[in-house]
Amino acid sequence: MQEIWQALVQAVNLIVSLDAEVIQISLRSLYISAASIVIAALFCVPVGALIHFHDFRGKRVTINVIQTFYSLPTVVVGLLVFLFISRSGPLGGLELLFTPAAIIIGQVILIMPVLTGMTIGALSGVDKSIRDTAISSGASSAQAMKAILFEARFAVVGALILGFGRAISEVGAALMLGGNIRGYTRVLTTAISLETQRGDIVLSLALGIILISIAMVVSVIMNILLQRY
Amino acid sequence: MKTLKIKGIHRVFIPVLMACLLLGTILAGCAPAATPPAATGQPAADNKSAQATAFPVIPGTPRFKIATTTSLYDTGLWNYLEPMFEKKANVKLDIVYAGTGAALEYGRRGDVDAVVVHDPEAEAKFIAEGYGTNKRSFAFNHFLIAGPASDPAGIKGLPPEQAFKKLYEAGKADPTKVKFISRGDNSGTHSKEKLIWQAAGLNYGDVQKSGPWYVEAGKGMGPCLLMASEQGAYILADISTFLAFKGKVNVVPLIEQGDLFLNVYDVMAINPEKVKTAKMLPTATTFTNWLMSDEVQDIIATYGVAEYGRPLFNPLKGGGCTEPGCPKLEDYTVPVK
Amino acid sequence: MAFLQTVDLEQRAGAAVLLNRVNLSVEKGEIFAVIGPTGAGKTTLLRLINLLDRPYGGDIYFDGEKITDPSCNAVRVRRRMSMVFQKPAVFNNSVYENVAYPLKLRGGHGKDARSGVYDLLDTIGLGGYAKRKAKTLSGGEAQRVALARAVVTQPDLLLLDEPTANLDPGTVKMIEELVVRFNRDRGLTVIMSTHDMQQAQRVAGRVGVLMKGELVQVGSPDDIFYSPDSARIAGFVGMRNLLKGHVIMNEKGIAVMDVNGREIEAVSDLPAGSAVDIYIRPEDVVLSRAASAGSARNDLRCTIRSIVPNGPLCTIVTDCGFPLEATVTGRSAVELGLVQGQEVYASFKATAVRILPSMPA
Repeated sequence: MQEIWQALVQAVNLIVSLDAEVIQISLRSLYISAASIVIAALFCVPVGALIHFHDFRGKRVTINVIQTFYSLPTVVVGLLVFLFISRSGPLGGLELLFTPAAIIIGQVILIMPVLTGMTIGALSGVDKSIRDTAISSGASSAQAMKAILFEARFAVVGALILGFGRAISEVGAALMLGGNIRGYTRVLTTAISLETQRGDIVLSLALGIILISIAMVVSVIMNILLQRY
Repeated sequence: MKTLKIKGIHRVFIPVLMACLLLGTILAGCAPAATPPAATGQPAADNKSAQATAFPVIPGTPRFKIATTTSLYDTGLWNYLEPMFEKKANVKLDIVYAGTGAALEYGRRGDVDAVVVHDPEAEAKFIAEGYGTNKRSFAFNHFLIAGPASDPAGIKGLPPEQAFKKLYEAGKADPTKVKFISRGDNSGTHSKEKLIWQAAGLNYGDVQKSGPWYVEAGKGMGPCLLMASEQGAYILADISTFLAFKGKVNVVPLIEQGDLFLNVYDVMAINPEKVKTAKMLPTATTFTNWLMSDEVQDIIATYGVAEYGRPLFNPLKGGGCTEPGCPKLEDYTVPVK
Repeated sequence: MAFLQTVDLEQRAGAAVLLNRVNLSVEKGEIFAVIGPTGAGKTTLLRLINLLDRPYGGDIYFDGEKITDPSCNAVRVRRRMSMVFQKPAVFNNSVYENVAYPLKLRGGHGKDARSGVYDLLDTIGLGGYAKRKAKTLSGGEAQRVALARAVVTQPDLLLLDEPTANLDPGTVKMIEELVVRFNRDRGLTVIMSTHDMQQAQRVAGRVGVLMKGELVQVGSPDDIFYSPDSARIAGFVGMRNLLKGHVIMNEKGIAVMDVNGREIEAVSDLPAGSAVDIYIRPEDVVLSRAASAGSARNDLRCTIRSIVPNGPLCTIVTDCGFPLEATVTGRSAVELGLVQGQEVYASFKATAVRILPSMPA
């Protein structure tokens, strides 16, 4: 148990002393997860909105499928993406394996179901009368959707934070697709994995503390921004 | 109910989004194309494949990828060598850390351009199948069998094959007292272990099924050592990783002598003729030759002395390896063309 | 053609017919109330007019334009109308943002627009509430915000769907006053649905009765109130005495009818022998301890069956050979010393008796 205290001390040390490697890894974690959530959100929020606002045959089934994929095992996704982007796979020519882009792809796929499903959930939570109010106020279809999305903004941001959390704390796909290459694709989670393997428990915990701190800061910032608007 | 109608704005929206998705992915961390350096001895036919590398959106230093075994990695040797090579060859050296089995698989798929492993049998097969080429050896060390200081199976000092036989019998008889942690991951160490079982006259399949005393961990060398330490089990480990973990584990070396313990580290380039997507043969050649160079061999001779009192690896240069099974002279002195 | 005209408007939900060939005409600048019981189709009708839903059949014309035509741009048309719903609907935003929303949709957000919003907030009695979060408002306040939001763009037509249905009397009054004011000051045409006949009387210039999806009667509030076209309407507008009888004789426009053995006189041209439906408003029945010496032609001896207090009033159900309800003030009931089982005289004028030829209600 004293490891936890030691880890706390070391974490603070690493941050305060601006340890170059830790900073690099942390920034990379942040950048990759942020890119993942942005890309995924650009796609999933509109798609979630589309699914919510339209009725079509198999809508219920689609939503069920999306929810099933909430629990996509990360290693499975990692493996499948690996097969695609390996140089001997169909997308091999893009030279994506063992690059940060590969990790982003894996994470985007992982968080897409959560983002889409929770966007649908967020929109479902908006009272039906909001749409009528918007439309009868003279909103076009697109403007009405915007109004509803805006009404649901707290829940949608909640979904984004969840997605970001899932992305930044993900190990399996990051390892398999990034290769944990020092200075290039090593992120906090894969570094923790490595240090644990190496038996350096304290450093692993310290990195873990840093990881949680980053997630917390991001969440707080997003909430503050939300309150403003 | 209405059928799905993609209304006007969405018709545009969705394709634009997908384009953004794709574009963002590619731009976000696109690896610069791994084009070979300009001066190349490649036949002209390769030019097409060189240009075929797509999306050199961010032109930068080419990236040379190798897969290396865990035992080399865990000792930190690569951390040391990596910046040196990057400077020398003006490439980015990406080191992917995997067991021998996985490393060779990456090689077969062309996801790496060279592999550094220590499994002669697997390597021979790799080369025979045409995947690997220009194999050279550059370092060696030994395995050892470690275990609890109390040595409940009483194997201290025995030859490795006999020790294994004894472990097998003792473990089957009383798995709570005698346990063995196997790498279980097709690594070089695992292959060596299997060889020793064979030498002990046992069928490996039987060993695997013989009882809970035999634990297939499926992990790297370091984690397996930690596991052995936790469980008071016996384990086959390479000396360098063992030393690097000495302070963290409480298993002790019990057997350090044995011909079968020789552990040679080899480097192989991926053969572009067999693996169409491997393009960095010239860099691999530079890499291989560099490993055999005086510069690196000297480093290998002293790496770890300060911390552990003895080097973790032994250079091959200068004929340091004299045991049976040591690589032939040409395997570690003749540069690759 | 009227400012807002529906032609044979029909709406269905699956097999159920919600609106059946409704022909509604609303003139520019008037306040038209659509009344009817719950489920009559009032909301359905208003939603169709606002183009929130598409009709099953029929057409709607607004200011001469056929707005149910598929080629018609619904958004453009809707921007000339606005609607306030039964349940106060506000966005999760400030009061100002709520009221300014329709302006934002149209891109109008300049200084003039801003001051217009503040003025409007003052008008509805919520000046100073601009920055308040709309979700924290009471139902009445929220509905006023909804109303302000509906008029901020100076629409040509305002639709109100039972806007005061769940509000306290004070707020009800406020909103009714605002509606009348907007109509008067801005020439805003208003179509308002309500199940409250009294509200229609207070506010509307004309009233249409919607029952089971059909527009069964249109007229001034008095027409509906005092001269309902059928028993159904009569029941709805509060004529609680619905009797059946037949005309015994008719002399100079006064019909004498037999109802269960008792005689009632009414002003009517219906000839003797006609089977009739008879309606008498409870407020028109006067009770006294002694036979009335007044001018009422009908003066019947009855027995009190029950006395039900009703706010400041009292509903007295008597047995006059047929059931007859009277509404008196609570004070009168006390002063008259009315008790159950007592004998009283119920009198009402011949002019207060409405009779129609009997037909299936």
